[in-house]
Amino acid sequence: MLDTTRVQKELVECNRDTAISGVSIDLHDGANLTHLCGSISGPLGTPYEGGTFIIDIQLPSDYPFEPPKMQFITRVWHPNISSQNGAICLDILKDQWSPALTLKTALLSLQALLSAPAPDDPQDAVVAQQYLRDYQKFVGTARHWTETFAKIATVGIDEKVSKLVEMGFPEDLARSVLEAVKGDENAALEKLCSG
Amino acid sequence: MDSEDDMHDAYDADSLDDDFYSGGTPMGSEDGDADYDFVDNESEDSEDITSHRQQQNYTILNIADIRQHQDEDISRVSTVLSISREAACVLLRHYKWSVSKVHDEWFADEENVRKAVGLLEKSVEMPYNRELTCGICFESYPRAEMSAAACGHPFCGACWIGYIGTSITDGPGCLMLRCPDPSCGAAVGEDMINMLTSNDDKEKYSRYLLRSYVEDNRKTKWCPAPGCEFAVEFVMGSGSYDVTCNCSYSFCWNCTEEAHRPVDCATVAKWILKNCAESENMNWILANSKPCPKCKRPIEKNQGCMHITCTPPCKFEFCWLCLGAWSEHGERTGGFYACNRYEAAKQEGAYDESERRREMAKNSLERYTHYYERWATNQSSRQKALADLHSMQVEKLEKLSDRQSQPESQLKFIIEAWLQIVECRRVLKWTYAYGYYLPEHEHAKRQFFEYLQGEAEAGLERLHQCAEKELQVYLEAEAPMKDFNDFRTKLAGLTSVTRNYFENLVRALETGLKDVGPSSNQATCSKSSSSKNLVGGKGSKMGKVKVTGTSSRAAGRTLDDGNLWSCEHCTYANPRSVNVCQMCEKHR
Repeated sequence: MLDTTRVQKELVECNRDTAISGVSIDLHDGANLTHLCGSISGPLGTPYEGGTFIIDIQLPSDYPFEPPKMQFITRVWHPNISSQNGAICLDILKDQWSPALTLKTALLSLQALLSAPAPDDPQDAVVAQQYLRDYQKFVGTARHWTETFAKIATVGIDEKVSKLVEMGFPEDLARSVLEAVKGDENAALEKLCSG
Repeated sequence: MDSEDDMHDAYDADSLDDDFYSGGTPMGSEDGDADYDFVDNESEDSEDITSHRQQQNYTILNIADIRQHQDEDISRVSTVLSISREAACVLLRHYKWSVSKVHDEWFADEENVRKAVGLLEKSVEMPYNRELTCGICFESYPRAEMSAAACGHPFCGACWIGYIGTSITDGPGCLMLRCPDPSCGAAVGEDMINMLTSNDDKEKYSRYLLRSYVEDNRKTKWCPAPGCEFAVEFVMGSGSYDVTCNCSYSFCWNCTEEAHRPVDCATVAKWILKNCAESENMNWILANSKPCPKCKRPIEKNQGCMHITCTPPCKFEFCWLCLGAWSEHGERTGGFYACNRYEAAKQEGAYDESERRREMAKNSLERYTHYYERWATNQSSRQKALADLHSMQVEKLEKLSDRQSQPESQLKFIIEAWLQIVECRRVLKWTYAYGYYLPEHEHAKRQFFEYLQGEAEAGLERLHQCAEKELQVYLEAEAPMKDFNDFRTKLAGLTSVTRNYFENLVRALETGLKDVGPSSNQATCSKSSSSKNLVGGKGSKMGKVKVTGTSSRAAGRTLDDGNLWSCEHCTYANPRSVNVCQMCEKHR
């Protein structure tokens, strides 16, 4: 059985300094601790800067003795992350996992991976090839993907806020709730309705 | 019973034992007792016949032996390097259980070795707080309930169990377990495992450790026979790779396929691969095609109606179902998509599988099939012989001893005969793989090979026949039979003769059919002169010889050639000038 005490501790610990670390973890659906949702802010000075990347986290029942299963939900252009399905090639998520590592350290490693790609050990061969052959083009594509897929929440937020205001919610509240759920209209509406 | 017979028995038993079990096996080691007191007298004579056999170059180890060897190696390293047994064990595993390699590396650069395997120079105590936080579950526990490897990183008991358990479940990698702290590489040895984990996991760990000693070690391999728990330690660079395990399975230590002397490993691998590939081809062709009834080429039907027209130049038009000429088909036989004749004939069972198979063999696979069939038949014949040998050992020998009033120790010659049959079937089988790869254009070699193979095979058939059929009479007899001693002489003689034939064959193949060496040259020559008579009307064409457990080839042929006499014991054709058989050394 999953060690829920440890996972709860991890959640508290991780979300305490979200502003500094740039990583956070939320529950995905209700009280289910085996399915979590992580988020990483794109590291400064990289083509991923300004983006928020959502990561699906599944905890096996043997966690923390077995590594968590992580996968990018936000589409990202990176040699070690599949541009098709978001699968990640990172040693600590596989054989180098240790139970003394945590979800936070894993997310921080992913953040570091965004800053320092390892094109010689690629997950996505197409991206890796581009990275090695035409770095400028790679940066361009990665930035475009960040703008397109990792910023949707902020791009359309005004429109969504005004939609919610039309429904009769106060603008400030609508904006803050929307931001909290990262621009997911339905989730925001649900939250607003439940009080 | 006269003493000469006894001597031959003793001699046969003795030399055979040596041949099959070049030491190290318990079987046959007890028969040096009273019945065989005169072995010594004969030992000089037997010397030159068995002189070519190898010194024993391997040892069979059981589980206890393996553990003992492992313990000794660990003790040695532990003493020499003045480190704990657990540390020595970790080191040895890292260097694939080579004591000398451990010593070399350690004395060359101790610091690096320590780093590579995770052995700290000085162990670190856990922090001296009353309570410590476990690095895995993040709970606090009293210091006494925590444990750490030499690095002092504390983890609680439950987390250690989880950590070690997961690693053991994952496989033999658990033997290289390190401290869970990702920044620390301190080794977690067997002492920690035994102290911290469940009995179940301890047992698994110790099994992995034992397996590692055999599997990671360059000197040892498990016997590949199913269910066999023995390992074989081999002395490198010491000649023949053939080893016989205590479970009686013979295999090649180099490639771990079954023993295939005199054929080399590369040929065997090629042959085995070929068998997989070809048999698949063959199966595919048989399953998916039918031969054209006229030109016999295999045809695959992938679409359309039953009216098939073979490709030019044949152009034969026929019905796919009944393979009859299409000219006889049409509306009345059911049209283009059915065939009444086929349905009717199928009801009567007219389409039999072997018929199709024979047709198939007409294509390019014919040559391969020829060798494969013989290879496989000898294989199954050997399987049968092994089963017969077993039933002989467990029940028939006792029955025979009862019926013929002979002590079982006097019936050993029957077991020897069966052992010889089993061994010869094995050799013969592999000579067919050899024959398949022997280039067609090397006529001289092929002829010589086929002649030797023919000789050996004929001898083996006589022996097999005698051991299988002729023995039956004595088994079924109500009372002891007078001619049982004659039977003994005959079977022992045939065993010895057959062994000689096969030794010649093996020697010839091992020398690449270049020359058979001075000692056997003479024998081969004299045999050559009589070859026609020996293999009779068959003319030594191996392609025609059918291999079965009980060929009807009769022993003891008479010879037409006035210059030769045929030994009544072994049928060997001797020159008139000698009175003692050159093959079995019995008097005329």
